[in-house]
Amino acid sequence: MALLAVKGLTFTYPDGISPALADIDFEADEGEFVVICGRSGCGKSTLLRHFKTVLAPHGKREGRVYFSGRELSEVGQREQTSEIGFVFQNPDNQIVTDKVWHELAFGLESLGLSPPLIRLRTAEMASFFGIGDWYHRSVFELSGGQKQILNLAAVMAMKPRVLIMDEPTSQLDPIAASHFLATAKKVNDELGTTILLSEHRLEEALPLADRVTVMSRGTIIAEDTPARVGRALMDAGDPMLHAMPAPIRIYLSIEGAAAESCPVTVREGRSYLRERMRGKIADEDRREGARAESRTVDQTNRESAVLLKDVWFRYGKDEPDILRGLSLQVKYGELCCIVGGNGSGKTTALRAISGILKPYRGRVSAGGLNASTATHTELFRQGLGVLPQDAKTMFTRKTIREDMSDLPQSDEESIRRVAALTEIEHLLERHPYDVSEGEQQRASLAKVLLNEPKILLLDEPTKGMDSFFKQKFARVLSKLKAEGAAILMVSHDIEFCAEYADRCALLFDGAVVSEGAPRDFFAGNSFYTTTANRMCGDLFPGAVTAEEVMRRCDARS
Amino acid sequence: MKRTDAFSTYHPIIGFLYFAFVILETAFFLHPVLLVISFASAMAYSIYLNGRRAVRFNLLMVLPLMLLAAVINPAFNHEGVTILGYIRDNPITLESILYGVAAAAMIGAVIIWFSCYNAVMTSDKFIYLFGRIIPSLSLILSMALRFIPAYKAQIVRIADAQRGIGRDISSGKLSARARSGLSILSVMVTWALESAIETADSMKARGYGLRGRTAYALYRFDGRDRLLLAFMVCGFALLLFAGGVRILSVQYFPAFSVNDTGFGVCLFYVVHAVICNIPLAADIREDFIWRSLRSKA
Repeated sequence: MALLAVKGLTFTYPDGISPALADIDFEADEGEFVVICGRSGCGKSTLLRHFKTVLAPHGKREGRVYFSGRELSEVGQREQTSEIGFVFQNPDNQIVTDKVWHELAFGLESLGLSPPLIRLRTAEMASFFGIGDWYHRSVFELSGGQKQILNLAAVMAMKPRVLIMDEPTSQLDPIAASHFLATAKKVNDELGTTILLSEHRLEEALPLADRVTVMSRGTIIAEDTPARVGRALMDAGDPMLHAMPAPIRIYLSIEGAAAESCPVTVREGRSYLRERMRGKIADEDRREGARAESRTVDQTNRESAVLLKDVWFRYGKDEPDILRGLSLQVKYGELCCIVGGNGSGKTTALRAISGILKPYRGRVSAGGLNASTATHTELFRQGLGVLPQDAKTMFTRKTIREDMSDLPQSDEESIRRVAALTEIEHLLERHPYDVSEGEQQRASLAKVLLNEPKILLLDEPTKGMDSFFKQKFARVLSKLKAEGAAILMVSHDIEFCAEYADRCALLFDGAVVSEGAPRDFFAGNSFYTTTANRMCGDLFPGAVTAEEVMRRCDARS
Repeated sequence: MKRTDAFSTYHPIIGFLYFAFVILETAFFLHPVLLVISFASAMAYSIYLNGRRAVRFNLLMVLPLMLLAAVINPAFNHEGVTILGYIRDNPITLESILYGVAAAAMIGAVIIWFSCYNAVMTSDKFIYLFGRIIPSLSLILSMALRFIPAYKAQIVRIADAQRGIGRDISSGKLSARARSGLSILSVMVTWALESAIETADSMKARGYGLRGRTAYALYRFDGRDRLLLAFMVCGFALLLFAGGVRILSVQYFPAFSVNDTGFGVCLFYVVHAVICNIPLAADIREDFIWRSLRSKA
């Protein structure tokens, strides 16, 4: 008997024309780890929220939801609270109290457990998740990844039988995200908790799953084991295939109709490809590949838009240095990506260029001005535009249109132009907080574009974007580039940088340690590189994107 | 750097009762001997707690305030029988000077005791104590303490983002700055409500609103708490008794008179001194234990 099940669930939001969920049948067995994926707005969150009565959205509903053989509406609130755990997307907003210990105890207090029992349960959870040494800390001292682990632990303290997580890693950087997913796997393996997880980051999540459910437009279009789901998507001809991890895509493109069970991890992909390509790649070929043509445009004679020369920065005299002699140059008409781990100084570098932080040594110039001495208005007139990490911070008005016309240089015509470019025409009259996160990101980009920026600084722009919008976003960037803008992007998204950047720089310990065209850059790294390159780097040196690997395989077979 | 304070590790109710009693006692007995003891003890404990910062605070903030209090009283209060002289036909009396000095010592001691209270009774302890009286209040306070820093951080992020698109609230015309400042505040309200929806979901999902909610706290009332509480209560009772039967009496007007210095009175001075130095004694005892532990090792 399935632990959780829905039968014939159809759901329509009060203002919706078409149903958000259409005739869904879904089951999850006790102890199963199910990953639910699909592009933004496909109905993942709506489905997940139906598994807990207090979270179920308002609207027109048909069909039934079952928990442990009973209809969910007959399961009492107290039982639902402890048996069905829910972790939300935003690490900050779901934290209620100010101290870690209080947060861990919150659910148990609601259930009315006695203080000694609460003490035991919080102690157990703190040890299980290895967060014992945070116990007395304030929650705002924690990083985003730590907060999300705390949220998970706070839910697990109630000993739920099923754990539902709605894109829990979308706000986290890749290291924190993989730590979070590994922790979720540990919960599943060691406590036997059933897990339903919706995710964008399939490269990490897919190998953990027992079963993958793919949704599109409110229906389930494929449901199978991770190794077989790719085949099902290929047969359905669904674009979600492009969101699958590189090993699956490469395998399917090679095998085509003969495909069966796909390799899911880098390790499986490597051994498959080595077997498949045995004897087909001569040494000559490899050397050929190593001399791969670089796609950098010759930029020696272009003017530099942003120039950092031996920049040193720290927040206070007694604080540690964050930038340690950083030198970097971005030219007009080029997309430069800065990659690197947390705390390597990426965001600090952006803030120094935009003049918010002033370095104590070295020189920063943007558009010919000294960024440390020029006022923001002067920098802005030189065409500097900054897109912050949190798109919400860009809006101060009641509708997106009002927000845009608030800027001095905007008029009807220019608003129409940028709205068309970012595809937000239909959203102009909406409140900026009422649109989805991806749409907020587009609207804030539109706001920056109004000024026709010549120097565009982007902080983690692809965070939380699904793979479809990333492609769209890349098109917008290349259009800007063609118009001669310089784009500097700070990102954790290695796959995106490999595909679209003209130049990548790896920041570590406050300085650039390696720099080059993405091909040379990523091919030269063995760990900090794309999945495709980790999988095929020894066979096809210089092939950093899955598409490139597929092309080369095609040429061989 | 903050030193580890042994008194802070006792149960919150101990700290609260202790400071409540000591501060009230200091404020109501204007007895010179008691004030001197209280002032000196508060000073010593605050320096133990906050080190150099306390010395600076006591010298720069408390001392001027005390001087002011000591000067103001004889300047405006002309009661008393011992006239020392006249300023513009106003008598300056010995009694009013003495009273001014006592009031200054009282004010200084109370302020310094409060600074110690602040260091010992952290927000968690306060929330815990009031949570025992009104359980929902403790949660509200805890949530408020979580939200305020989050709001502050968001305001800074919004202001930075607005600068990035050319709307700088730190420069430009005053009217424009005020307008963009206001729009940031208004969007903050929206942001706060928006994030509160998710917080509310998270609270509901974890059963907030079910009947019979308990309040968990880290504090345990154990043996040493009981011992200290009993000791404190005895001391308080003795001093209250002394106050009740007017053994420790003092009179400033019309003429200054203080109780006799009999054996009984001295005993109460000692009791008062012991009470005032409980925290320091706890600390010194612990320091001593640590030193002896280290020398054995």
